[in-house]
Amino acid sequence: MEELFICRCEEVTRQELEQAIADGAISMNELKRWTRAGMGLCQGKTCAKQVMALLAQKTAQSPAAVKPATTRNPVRPMQISYMTKEAE
Amino acid sequence: MEKQWDAIIIGGGIIGLACAYYLTDAGQSVLLLEKGDLGQGASTSCDDMIFLQSKKPGILLTIALESLEMYRRLEQDLPASIEFESRGGMVLIESESQMGHMQDFVRQQKALNLDVELLTKEQARKMAPLVSKHVLGSTYSPMDSQVNPLQVMRGFVKAAASKGLEIRRHCGVKALDNPAPYHWKVTADDGKVYESRFVINACGAWAAQVGELTGLELPIKPKRGQILVTESVPAFGQTNFWSADYIVMKLNPDFAKERSALMNDLGIGLSMSQAQSGNYFLGGTREFAGFDKTVDRTALHLILKEAVRFFPALEKVNIIRTFSGFRPAAADGKPFIGPVASQPGMYIAAGHEGDGIALAPITGYAISRMITGQPLPYDFSELSPARLGI
Repeated sequence: MEELFICRCEEVTRQELEQAIADGAISMNELKRWTRAGMGLCQGKTCAKQVMALLAQKTAQSPAAVKPATTRNPVRPMQISYMTKEAE
Repeated sequence: MEKQWDAIIIGGGIIGLACAYYLTDAGQSVLLLEKGDLGQGASTSCDDMIFLQSKKPGILLTIALESLEMYRRLEQDLPASIEFESRGGMVLIESESQMGHMQDFVRQQKALNLDVELLTKEQARKMAPLVSKHVLGSTYSPMDSQVNPLQVMRGFVKAAASKGLEIRRHCGVKALDNPAPYHWKVTADDGKVYESRFVINACGAWAAQVGELTGLELPIKPKRGQILVTESVPAFGQTNFWSADYIVMKLNPDFAKERSALMNDLGIGLSMSQAQSGNYFLGGTREFAGFDKTVDRTALHLILKEAVRFFPALEKVNIIRTFSGFRPAAADGKPFIGPVASQPGMYIAAGHEGDGIALAPITGYAISRMITGQPLPYDFSELSPARLGI
């Protein structure tokens, strides 16, 4: 079970997520900050639903009640050269 | 009768959690109230540096050095790896006038036992081979350090919870009553009343609003700090980096004339630190923008242009995230750590601006010692609210 990777970008396992919930993480933001799940290149696009389902299950909430983690720009990784050019 | 707590901490950022950790460690019963998620104001939207070289010689440098030693111990004591590391720091110098100011500053810091030196252009390039050729030299301190604030908070929560800390999240405070000295009634947003002997205002940029509940006028304002995060990349050098121009300007306001008005309004100074995950934090701004948490394209572009000027190879690196946090800026640039003389039992632990991560352990420890009536390792009167008549 511990070898089951949930966040592929940051290689976070199901066991690590469960440990963070046991340590007291109760929201998607806290879970992300404590484990890095959703902090990688895809910013949680791949794993967010799995993480939400796990959090809902472990905290006995309905999945619909779990609020997603905060999203921020950029939507996709963006090379710095494009961002500095845009300024001119 | 409702339980009476020893202390109620208002604010669940790194400062409030540090207070909770050291108070529960001293055997106090503690309730912590946080109006949102833990650390949502600033402590989770910041970089990871314990940057000693920016500290003016004086009480702030003294307690920052102490806090650094405390982090070393916390790496052992906390039930989470806090990713503490002394990677060192370089302040990159671009002009002769910056060089002169930095020489003076380094001399003063050395006198206070900060291990710091000036590097020649060649020495600097040896430590940071990718730095731009126009850089004239740098400072270097092996003591500049970093820590993962998210893991520090996790460690504080877990350790303090095992000693009885209770946390209410999404629980703001709407009234604070003080029927007798050392008797506080804290009314939460949901109408519930909690009682304690001590109250600690650890609300960061919101400290003034909570202060108002008891008629205090705390001169603390939110300063927005915008930061970009890169993808995980190999290191650009052995240390973390800062540009000298912002530090020189802080020391000598006249120097602002050498920068553009826009750079000064946004308070832009390059900082570049690499987390253990390999991502670089590129910062940052220090601007008065109220509680507006948006990031602003102009500021992000200016930060990136600074970063690319110093490290041209950054051009090909991807940005994966941008964010901002509210640095709680005190009117005189120093945090408030201490009691409110006219309101027995009320303590302030707020106003750390950009030093909240660096100073969290010493702040929590000092507040715990004050509340339990134990002697302090340093004279904190310079940081007492009383310095401004509060």
